[in-house]
Amino acid sequence: MPDNPYVPIPVRVQNVRVESDDRTLRTYDLVFADDAEPFEYLPGQFCQLSILGKGEAAFGIASSPTEREFLRFTVNRVGTVTTALHYLKEGEELGLRGPLGNHYPVEKFKGQNVVLVGGGFAFTTLRSLAAYLLANRSDYGDITVIYGARRPGLLLYRDELTEWEKRGDVAVHLTIDEPAAGWDKAVGFVPTVTGKVRPSPKDAWAVVCGPPVMIKYTMPVLLDLGFAPDRIYTSLERRMKCGVGKCGRCNIGPKYVCTDGPVFSYAELASLPEGV
Amino acid sequence: MSSSLRIAKPDLDQLVSALTSRYRLFGPVDVDGSTVLREVKSADELALGAALDGSVKAAFFPQTETLLTYDGTVSEAPSGRDKPTAVIGARPCDARSLLLLDKVFGTGKYWDPLWQRRHDDSLVIGLGCSAPLETCFCNLMGSGPFDAEGSDIMLTDIGDAFVAESCTDKGERFLKTAYKSQVQRPSQADLDKAGEARSKALASLAPAANYSGVKTALAKLWDSALWDEIALGCLSCGACAYLCPTCHCFDVQDETAPGTQQGRRVRIWDTCQSALFTKEASGHNPRPSAKDRIRQRVMHKFSYFVDNYGEAACVGCGRCIRLCPVDFDVRVVLERVIAEGRRTKDKERGTKKDVRHAG
Amino acid sequence: MLLKDKKADLVIGYERGSSKRRARPVVIRADKDVDRLIFDDTCGPSLVPFARKALRATPLGTRVAVVAKGCDGRALVQQIAEGQFKRDQVVMIGVGCNGVTDHRRGASGEKREASCERCRYPNPPVYDVFVGEPVAAGTGDEFAGVAEFEKLASADRWAWFEHELGKCIRCYACRNACPMCYCEECVVDQTNPLWLGKSAERPDTTLFHLVRALHTAGRCVDCGACERACPLGVRLALLNKRLEREVRERFGYTAGLSMEATPALATYSEEDKQEFML
Repeated sequence: MPDNPYVPIPVRVQNVRVESDDRTLRTYDLVFADDAEPFEYLPGQFCQLSILGKGEAAFGIASSPTEREFLRFTVNRVGTVTTALHYLKEGEELGLRGPLGNHYPVEKFKGQNVVLVGGGFAFTTLRSLAAYLLANRSDYGDITVIYGARRPGLLLYRDELTEWEKRGDVAVHLTIDEPAAGWDKAVGFVPTVTGKVRPSPKDAWAVVCGPPVMIKYTMPVLLDLGFAPDRIYTSLERRMKCGVGKCGRCNIGPKYVCTDGPVFSYAELASLPEGV
Repeated sequence: MSSSLRIAKPDLDQLVSALTSRYRLFGPVDVDGSTVLREVKSADELALGAALDGSVKAAFFPQTETLLTYDGTVSEAPSGRDKPTAVIGARPCDARSLLLLDKVFGTGKYWDPLWQRRHDDSLVIGLGCSAPLETCFCNLMGSGPFDAEGSDIMLTDIGDAFVAESCTDKGERFLKTAYKSQVQRPSQADLDKAGEARSKALASLAPAANYSGVKTALAKLWDSALWDEIALGCLSCGACAYLCPTCHCFDVQDETAPGTQQGRRVRIWDTCQSALFTKEASGHNPRPSAKDRIRQRVMHKFSYFVDNYGEAACVGCGRCIRLCPVDFDVRVVLERVIAEGRRTKDKERGTKKDVRHAG
Repeated sequence: MLLKDKKADLVIGYERGSSKRRARPVVIRADKDVDRLIFDDTCGPSLVPFARKALRATPLGTRVAVVAKGCDGRALVQQIAEGQFKRDQVVMIGVGCNGVTDHRRGASGEKREASCERCRYPNPPVYDVFVGEPVAAGTGDEFAGVAEFEKLASADRWAWFEHELGKCIRCYACRNACPMCYCEECVVDQTNPLWLGKSAERPDTTLFHLVRALHTAGRCVDCGACERACPLGVRLALLNKRLEREVRERFGYTAGLSMEATPALATYSEEDKQEFML
């Protein structure tokens, strides 16, 4: 535990790339600056990225702890901080506080099947999870990835998705909302595609990340398939400031997304008044 | 082991200078008829008779506080290791609030060094409440006008003097070192007067209503129309939150001098009644209406805080009533919550049907 | 009676509050609850923000009756002039006002507020029904306090402002209690861009109050709700009063007297004085 949780540690941009065809998403690979001590984390955790003078914003970690060379974040340009982040170039420094929050229960997943369901740019921590599971492939049963975006150019990490499709030890189902030239895979919304893929609930866990509306319609599909509410996990977003459970704005009922979450089981959320 | 002293009012300066030599001392000061907490240097600045309008939390958690300064990179981050802080004239409700805030800032996965170091190193001199106001309800929140909880030393006003009693080892040590010589012990008559002040204060408080059912009732009232009604009586300003001794939510902002890279990251008191409190950069707001926000305020204090820390985040100081521009009365809210809760059947949660609808 | 005859769907008035020195705004929906309504010198808060709230929270066509003392009546008129709602959406229950008192400054009836002392409009200029007797308007110069203040040296005036604004805790009670501060999104709340800092320190609080004073210039009806709302007694209304005089002298406009007149700062005339332009 850091002595002062409000002080960011310095990190450096190793690599930037434009992630989406509309250029609103960029992916950053960060490395710890020389005087900063690297930390340990698990898939599902997040960090506060900090640009002095602009502020901080929370981002799920998109790299896997098995990728020790960098910390990856994908940033959607929406506000002051994310715009400032988009101006960062390779070699430049920024601040980081983390790792914050809880993580996906990868220990519980051991020896079991895992279904990852993602939508849009919320695929970041699912990428972390998928990379983690694949790096420890023998520890897990069947791995299924269902991932959709509005159009092909908005799917994150496209090269990597292609690699996964080739691997043979992970079932990858990609979908887009409407037909597009050159797209020969599924077309349709993620909940519908999930219903068609019909992942088996037997010895399985599901992790769902995406825009609220996608989560809303995917949950009943998973429940109908037989997934128990305590075997479905999701990761939530709320406006945050401190990230350490003090500033009081990211609560859902008595739970703070920053410290009790961001990962919650659907059973937990159903018991909370403001859940999902 | 607790020692008691008699401090004649003209001699209060001796206590104040003993305090200021070791501490940054905060106390109630009159500003145009309002009593606010300010840093003080001498006893004649103090307005110990009046009820404090701003709460004591500001001594440990200032409204605007620097988290770090920067000039391109982080230059400095205050650690909370300043000259220790003392407060004189904290009413028992306020003193108790400091212990509730310890739970927020000092427990959990992370601690807040700025609050916690300051409070750990502090000396709190409470002042018993001889004349509770109409808006006071500390007795309904599990405390009382002479409760020592949170105070290191407790003063009781007996007219021409104060009876000072130590309530903690820290308070005891301070009294012993500050009053090495010329210790004046209170006479039996002084102690009788102090006792009288206490029983008079207790008797003047409204008879104990019972708020024990509030949490159970709240659990049933998430979707209640009661919140629409309650929201109609609120201006959605931040007066209650900023004057409340237990409200602790804050915002963080960067302030940079124009044309430079020099600036500071500050935390600033914030209020859950502001629409911006939860509004996300995308424009989405999980609490878009005044109803959502007033419900959050009541739920946070009387339900969530109990879940997380075992007590309600309210000490019954009554500032939120007394200083509310439109006389919004949290006691009335709690009574309505209890009454509405009685009328509302328990909702079953966690069934498959509910799970679907929650999404 | 209004409710029974369906002339209004709800009534916004005052009821006795947490003590005999306080009145709180109340929404009355049923005829049987009308007895709760009171009007006396404890009825300080402006009901206009509550009327707006009620109009927004109810279906179109809902008629909201509002108890309106002189200043609140003027604020309603001004909002109608500014196109905020239509005349037939509100039923004005006029009352004559002898001035209200600040509950914190002592017992009821003890001392009238500064705005009430200089008030020249104790009765609403427009109403649908009038309860009780109209109150005779005060005489004398309503800007006497402003003139007195202007006699001070510039440094003293600034010191006065610094002292007053030094008490501000940025709770926005003044803004939220103000009948004319109805912007959907206040400039001080905007964060992208951040026009002014959010701290409670002097430069930021000063800027906030200056922006507010300028934005209510020519619109403020000097009801004093801002001062009464302030939990720490910041004296805000004097600056507004000064700007009120400015607008009256320059444009011959007084806020809240006519629903038809175009608000002074929403119009432009070739004859407007322009000596401030370079």
